[in-house]
Amino acid sequence: MAKKIMIVDDDPAIVKYLENLFKNNGYETCVARDGSEGVGIVKKEKPDLITLDLEMPEEWGPRFYRKLSKEKEFKNIPVIVISGLSGNKYAIHKAVASLTKPFDKDKLLTIVKETIGE
Amino acid sequence: MFKKILFATTGTPSCDSAARVAFDMAKRYNAELVTINVFGVPSRSFSQTVTDIRTGDEVDLHDDRLEEIKNELEKTYVQLIKDYTPCETVVTVGIPHTEILRLARKKEIDLIVIGARTSAEENENSVNRHIVGRTLQSVARSARCPVLVIGRTAASFWGGISNIVFGTDFSKASDEAFKFAFNLAQTFNSSLHLFHAIDISADPFEITKNQEVIEDRIRDAREKIRSKYLSKMEGFNDYEIDVWEGIPYVEIVKYARESFADLIVMSHHTKKMDPEKAVLGSTVEQVVLRSNAPVISVNHPARQKKQ
Repeated sequence: MAKKIMIVDDDPAIVKYLENLFKNNGYETCVARDGSEGVGIVKKEKPDLITLDLEMPEEWGPRFYRKLSKEKEFKNIPVIVISGLSGNKYAIHKAVASLTKPFDKDKLLTIVKETIGE
Repeated sequence: MFKKILFATTGTPSCDSAARVAFDMAKRYNAELVTINVFGVPSRSFSQTVTDIRTGDEVDLHDDRLEEIKNELEKTYVQLIKDYTPCETVVTVGIPHTEILRLARKKEIDLIVIGARTSAEENENSVNRHIVGRTLQSVARSARCPVLVIGRTAASFWGGISNIVFGTDFSKASDEAFKFAFNLAQTFNSSLHLFHAIDISADPFEITKNQEVIEDRIRDAREKIRSKYLSKMEGFNDYEIDVWEGIPYVEIVKYARESFADLIVMSHHTKKMDPEKAVLGSTVEQVVLRSNAPVISVNHPARQKKQ
């Protein structure tokens, strides 16, 4: 069964790019456009990994992650931060990696494979 | 709550994180933002020659010079200003903390945002990297309003205030910091963490020899938090109480990180202390330099602006 990656980002272009990238590499995907709808989608979709933007209109990534970390069943889902903000590696200290936009897709895929397998 | 914010900057990269926080807060909370840059110190009274604070060079102050610096500063923050236009830029000469405090009084500022170090101080030897800037020390000591300090270069403001850590040492100054933190939590509908760290680093009573003593002190501190603060928080349920033992500034930084704090509120005690200790020993100063979350330092009650 294919592993599922949840993309949390408000930029439709990034979402589309990541969806194609992951699907082309054998992963399933699901999307939350904002942190505020993120926890509901996590509960519904039960992803194996989350890519998380930081700056989003309604609810920023760190606040979403804080809510997620209170959910016993989901708090250990690995998170990869993908953001254009400087210092993004300090935003979520438990993230498995932090990538700065524009990011290297091969590097992202390597991290994904190392984290949840192919 | 924050209607007027004053952002004090040297215009150097060391102030970039503080700039982002200041502009983000002003935009988010619909506040008026005033940016101040104190360009230099006059070499003599009424002198037209000033010492540039950033470079240390003596510079002749032409009529247009301050306007040029103002334009330069606005160019530096052009991206931030683009997103948030209702802001004013003030460039002046003088002693930095005096000018910052003067403008804060004049404009009836609610919050001063400032970086912990100037670039000049960053270039000094590594020992000084554990010391906050002199301007910050003077501003935090004398400001009538709370002072928000951005210490580490990476310290940022990740999307509003939703999770506040209030660090207390149970002093009178901490009572004022509590009032401010609680007001903030109510205004922004935030979680409030009431935190105390039992200092076992100096171990004056050799309490570390006995774990039961440590745990008794933890229990006592929790009870003290309940009796001192919870009675003033009627109807407010989004709080947590935690007491950890260790080196206070380390524990506060760790606790803020583990609880995903957006903001730390503490009192500033340096006025009462020996200047040597104030520079090297103050918990709030070490938290400011080490924390990934912005820190608000609240001063003596008599000097705090009424909310």
